[in-house]
Amino acid sequence: MRFDTNKDMAVLTRCEKALEKLKALQPELNAVVTFCDVEQQVEALKDVDPQAPLYGVPIVLKDNVSTKGVRTTASSRILDNYIPVYDAAIVEKLKQSGAIIVAKASMDELGMGGTNKNAYTGKVNNPYDKKRISGGSSGGSAVVVAAGAVALAIGTDTGDSVRKPAAYNGVIGVKPTYGRISRYGIIPYASSLDHVGYFTTNVEDACTALEVLAGRDDRDMTSSDRPVEAYRALLDSDVRGKVIGVLDNVQEAICDNRILDNMNVLLAKLAARGAIIRHVSMPQELMETVLPVYLTIANAEATANHSNLDGIRFGMREEGENVEDVMKRSRTAGFSAYVRKRFIIGSYSLFVENQDKLFRKAQKIRRLIVEHYRALLAECDCIIASAAPSIAPLEDEAQDEALGASHLVADNHMQLGNFSGYPSMTLPSGFIDGLPIGVNITCRPFAETVMFGIAKAIEEETGLADHTVEVKA
Amino acid sequence: MKYETVIGIEIHCELKTKTKMFSSAPVAFGEVANTCVNEVDLGHPGCLPCVNREAVRLAIKAATALHCTIDPLVRFDRKNYYYSDLPKGFQITQQFHPIGSGGYVEIETAEGKKQIRLNRMHMEEDTAKQFHSDAGTLIDFNRAGTPLIEIVSEPDMRNGAEAAAYVEKLRMILLYLGVSDVKMEEGSMRCDVNISLRPEGSDTFGVKTEIKNLNSISNVQKAIEAEVQRQSTILEEGGVIEQATRRYDETQKTTVMMRKKEGNVDYKYFPEPNIFPIRLEEAWIKAIQADMEELPDQRKERYMRDYGLNAYDAGVLVATRELADFFEAVCAHTKAYKKAANWIIVELNAALNKANIKLKDNPCKAEALAEMINMVEKGDISGKQAKIVFEEILKGRDPKQVVEEKGMKQMSDTSALAAWITQVLDANPQSIADFKNGKDRAVGFLVGQVMKLSKGQANPAMTNRMIQEELKKR
Repeated sequence: MRFDTNKDMAVLTRCEKALEKLKALQPELNAVVTFCDVEQQVEALKDVDPQAPLYGVPIVLKDNVSTKGVRTTASSRILDNYIPVYDAAIVEKLKQSGAIIVAKASMDELGMGGTNKNAYTGKVNNPYDKKRISGGSSGGSAVVVAAGAVALAIGTDTGDSVRKPAAYNGVIGVKPTYGRISRYGIIPYASSLDHVGYFTTNVEDACTALEVLAGRDDRDMTSSDRPVEAYRALLDSDVRGKVIGVLDNVQEAICDNRILDNMNVLLAKLAARGAIIRHVSMPQELMETVLPVYLTIANAEATANHSNLDGIRFGMREEGENVEDVMKRSRTAGFSAYVRKRFIIGSYSLFVENQDKLFRKAQKIRRLIVEHYRALLAECDCIIASAAPSIAPLEDEAQDEALGASHLVADNHMQLGNFSGYPSMTLPSGFIDGLPIGVNITCRPFAETVMFGIAKAIEEETGLADHTVEVKA
Repeated sequence: MKYETVIGIEIHCELKTKTKMFSSAPVAFGEVANTCVNEVDLGHPGCLPCVNREAVRLAIKAATALHCTIDPLVRFDRKNYYYSDLPKGFQITQQFHPIGSGGYVEIETAEGKKQIRLNRMHMEEDTAKQFHSDAGTLIDFNRAGTPLIEIVSEPDMRNGAEAAAYVEKLRMILLYLGVSDVKMEEGSMRCDVNISLRPEGSDTFGVKTEIKNLNSISNVQKAIEAEVQRQSTILEEGGVIEQATRRYDETQKTTVMMRKKEGNVDYKYFPEPNIFPIRLEEAWIKAIQADMEELPDQRKERYMRDYGLNAYDAGVLVATRELADFFEAVCAHTKAYKKAANWIIVELNAALNKANIKLKDNPCKAEALAEMINMVEKGDISGKQAKIVFEEILKGRDPKQVVEEKGMKQMSDTSALAAWITQVLDANPQSIADFKNGKDRAVGFLVGQVMKLSKGQANPAMTNRMIQEELKKR
């Protein structure tokens, strides 16, 4: 499904069709938390230029994107009744460009997790095999694009929460440079790692989407002043002379030869197009620290970020004897045990007596990792690696924070993109046992145009543009 | 045993900005509860902080006036704790890198000038206001997010008077800078006092108590004196001081325990990830510093130098900003500076007090007072008459009109005066004789007679001079 699919239909019909499809998919995929009312939105289109890039395009938002007047739960019980009083910055932009929000999609609770099993509404199913996970935390957004219900779904990416589910569901998942898209109104997970990202089925739409979403927002001090490029017009799949660095730490950690072969075939094709393929690597001991460093920083920031969820001003409240008691009871009942555990770990690493050896140490290692990563990208236009060491795992085999030699590096390397803030995206690159696999590319900061060009070349080689799957009941 | 008192003070001041420290909601006092708030102040999910540039500017002014070293790299940190007046569950403050460090405030003490050293000055955001009752707790978020500076002194003060002088000096400095309203009664300036005693000569600190919620500078001093008394009694009886937060009870004139301090709370400070360090341009800082308002000490010196006031009068005027500003407005229209100061310090203050009018609502126009003073200077009216005119000026009236209406124009016309004098001298030969016999008192009597005859219109100085000349002739 593309942005221009069904463009000839009346907007309302087109959106109702998308809603119908989402509702039909719901028993199969369990991807949606809230279906949205589209009539008013379509009505509001009269103030939007019909030439606007997303005019009348039905889209889905991850349920951590604040929507004024529309329930936004972040898939957490504590926000089950929360209705924001304001629109996130990107919602304003999407509406100005004519997009119609048809649903809010399931996610791992508050973004914490990579399986989408940790949602208050339950697991999200992989559209290729319902016994398998969608991946997370933006699982709901990934599967609605993969199943052909909408052409664009917004996600967020703190560890690899857009790019991993993109790989598991055979769609494109983009996480641009930190600061490229405003985070104002996104229910956070870990502020220094959080990025707004999105899913499409082809690179051209990915370019258009970024043109809509990107740009300085004064409400987000970390958002960039750099002008937004005309990504779509600049899109050029000519990779001659482009240096593509294969991240060997990842490829060497992958045990499945079919995934390695898939990469090698792709590399050969890119080489044939004139790209220069190089093998690069990060210090192995640093690569092995990526996950613990990630978890330490993310949990610490998360525990502070979510201290506002106390049942006092909004959200689910458990009554108690006094204000403090209300807060305690609301937070105990409002979060899953998994999230509470992460808050405790986060708090622990911030205690005065632990901060030097945990939180601050993690920040130091993060800087060290980014220094090495920057050095790699100084000699390459792009770093490429297999997005995941396997196809989407079965529900009972999937776990967060999977350790073991293979998982430690190959399952977590995309967090490099969050540590550094560099633009990074995953594209579908083939299938194993009928399930999609993907490749990940990462470029220099604000080099999205370069990234999209290389992505386009990959897409032309894989022939997987606009690929979706028909979900069987 | 003799004890030495050790006092350190933390002061929170609300900055006078239009909007909040990290949000675009308005800053206002006394508005309807929860009307000056937006999603940021309420800590709604997804909100991000945006640093108020004006707050940083005001902080730089304050830091400069307090002689602090300014950190040109502005950084913020999170102070994490759960409390219902803290919407986000953390306060954004400057724990690790305060905008100002070091510095001092100079105060006057019984023993002369003394410098109270500062530890730091940092920016942060205020919390919401809570109202507890049996029915429950009400929270007003209007105050939440209001920009604050916190000024932390070193433990350099030794008695209540020094502490009060320190707070008063800070208050004046911040007021003159236009940085804060510094109203203790409204909470725009809040004062936490740490007090401990130690045997004289000791260089270690005793156990301290903290007094919070002091609502006036005089209570700062009273509270300290009461607490020193309390602590020394305990120590003299061989007891130990309990580390605690206390408040001052005005009716009982003693400090009362609020809560015990049990260990240090771990606020789990860490750098605020949503605000990258902000590099302040040196030129911007310099421009702010070059454009600073005159500080109270500078103004006092200027009054002594340019207006010839004595230190006391200059000090009284400067101590109240509105009074000093009014004085300057009057001085723009008269050269009789000392007289102006006197009228303002004595008569104006007394009159306003009597009528229960606040200085900011002073109905007396500066031009009118100046004109009245000029009339006295020129001899157009007498000092006695001026007091009557002053009453009218206070009602907002024009002094010239008053003088004309009341027919009090003072007579300085020599021929008219001469006529009155002749009449009086002719009628009082005994007085002339007394004068010739060396009784100077007679002159006063004669002047009085002329005044009486002229219904107070005769210029007394001229009358006096002319009578003496006339007497010598006779």
